[in-house]
Amino acid sequence: MSNAMQFYISTLLIYLFIDIIGVLGLNLQFGVAGIINFAYIAFVGVGAYTAAVLSLGPDHPDNFQHYLFGANLPFPLPIIAAGAASGILSLLVGVISLRRLRSDYQAMVMLVLSLIATLVASNATGLVNGPAGLATIPWPLFDQLGLSPVDYQWVYAGWAGLLAVLTFLFVQRITNSPLGRTLRAMRDNDRAGAALGKSITGLRLMIFVVGGVIAGVCGAVFVEFIQAWSPGSWLYPETFVFFAAILVGGTANNWGAMVGALLVPVGFLEATRFLPQIFYQGFIEAMQWVCVGLLILLFLWFRPSGLFPERPGRFRPRAEAVSRPSE
Amino acid sequence: MSQLIPAIGFGLITASILAIAAVGFTLQFSVTNILNLAYGDIMTACAFAAYVANQAGVNIWICLVIASLFGAVFSFLLNRLVYFQFVRRGTKLFGMIIVTIAMSLIIQNVLLAIFRPTFFSYHASQGPSYTFGSMVFTASQLAIIGIAALAMLAVHLLSTRTKLGKAMRATATNPGLARSCGVATDRVIDAAWLVSGALCGIAGVAVVLNTATFSEGTGATFLVPIIAAAVLGGIGQPYGAMLGAITIGLASEIAASVINPSYKDVVAFGILIVVLLVRPQGILSEVAAAKEVAA
Repeated sequence: MSNAMQFYISTLLIYLFIDIIGVLGLNLQFGVAGIINFAYIAFVGVGAYTAAVLSLGPDHPDNFQHYLFGANLPFPLPIIAAGAASGILSLLVGVISLRRLRSDYQAMVMLVLSLIATLVASNATGLVNGPAGLATIPWPLFDQLGLSPVDYQWVYAGWAGLLAVLTFLFVQRITNSPLGRTLRAMRDNDRAGAALGKSITGLRLMIFVVGGVIAGVCGAVFVEFIQAWSPGSWLYPETFVFFAAILVGGTANNWGAMVGALLVPVGFLEATRFLPQIFYQGFIEAMQWVCVGLLILLFLWFRPSGLFPERPGRFRPRAEAVSRPSE
Repeated sequence: MSQLIPAIGFGLITASILAIAAVGFTLQFSVTNILNLAYGDIMTACAFAAYVANQAGVNIWICLVIASLFGAVFSFLLNRLVYFQFVRRGTKLFGMIIVTIAMSLIIQNVLLAIFRPTFFSYHASQGPSYTFGSMVFTASQLAIIGIAALAMLAVHLLSTRTKLGKAMRATATNPGLARSCGVATDRVIDAAWLVSGALCGIAGVAVVLNTATFSEGTGATFLVPIIAAAVLGGIGQPYGAMLGAITIGLASEIAASVINPSYKDVVAFGILIVVLLVRPQGILSEVAAAKEVAA
């Protein structure tokens, strides 16, 4: 394989694994627990910024970019910190917005939160370098491993893949556990769940934080690969790419969500990468967004439960219920 | 202090535009129960409709009327061709929010594809300036305030003095009961989309007249204070939305002059959060409370 082809394929693989992590986190929140988090990408953004500033090293007045909390932590720590930062932020946001509110209010608050978060990141220039964003974030362990960039990309793909598998196992474990059943019950009828003594607010908050941590890790792994991050990378429509992936793949079905991650974010990227620029710069991107919108509408219309619908719960019939009365 | 009074002047103009937009948003939501997050993009579409007419040499105030008609027809068709079809197919509350977001992405990016990513402005003179104390208004800003006042009066008269307005309020409170009392709720819903679209169109042009330039994302950004004003007033409450618009408009412009102009929307958002914490049903909230029981 030529070098360029290797770069291309390993990059796509890394994108796929990162998108899978992100989609699984949102699927846990939205598909399984029914929390409408329109600010999901903001939590990805927070994770990315955290990982970036913690691996860029302390800010220096002569630096071309300025940020707070700069540090030079060794490899896995920035990612862990990113998950923690995103989780803490989720906790704060969840405590404020998940109580008592009708779900459409929550959706609105989340959407507005996402808009505001980009606004603050762009305008508070001292925080994370404003609209220009952060750049030259080092590849983790690149110097220590001593590999060529191509080989390093393959190693990184393996690392992202490992995290994707771990995320999948974790999310799948929750989905299929008694907790997962409770969450689905809450999603389908929260009053009935509350009547059975489940703390609806507590459960929602917990899943909101767990999803937030996954979002943070997703952002961290992404930013350590692409090495740059700015407010333009996490505008609010990006959340709807994840939503589109879930709706296409199959709400509340983790296998489906992974297929969705392959088809929507990665599929779009690959399908449009080789398209020639027609009319003017930016036309293709505008059309991509139109297609994301149409895709969402088409799936909601023709196949609202996605390509791989949620499997209905199966209960092993008890022996006495199965055995027929003696003939 | 010297900054404060001009800021109040700006606040009045912002509040006027917000009031038009927020009343349209909340009216349509209360009657149809669809949270239309494409509202901001309809505003942009109306602003572009006025832009096209304006480029053809039409006076800006006639363009405003054109934009208003365009908004009414656009909203009406959007509901009839897209939203209503999904509702009839049984798409639930959350699904409908996603549908409106998808429409928002589509409208915004079709506009981007047609008009290209640059900034646009109208051919319109701001007219002579008038000074009231230390507040300075241009003629067109005064006109915006006047139009907002007229629009609010019209909404008030519509909802209290006409049969349509009463039918709208009945549909908003309890659609099933309204239907069994002989209110043609489908027609009322159509009317709500027309009225809200017309207000949306006026607001779209007014925003551009006030800020001078616009692009395909202008309406989507303006959605933040609209939602803040509507929620502040108790969603589905036209008078609440007016009150919310005045609060948000004044607060954000004063904050802009005291702190930093970039933080206008952040202040609006801060108010929104505080309101949701303290009084999630909004300031005026009978309908919202009734809906909660029904939902």
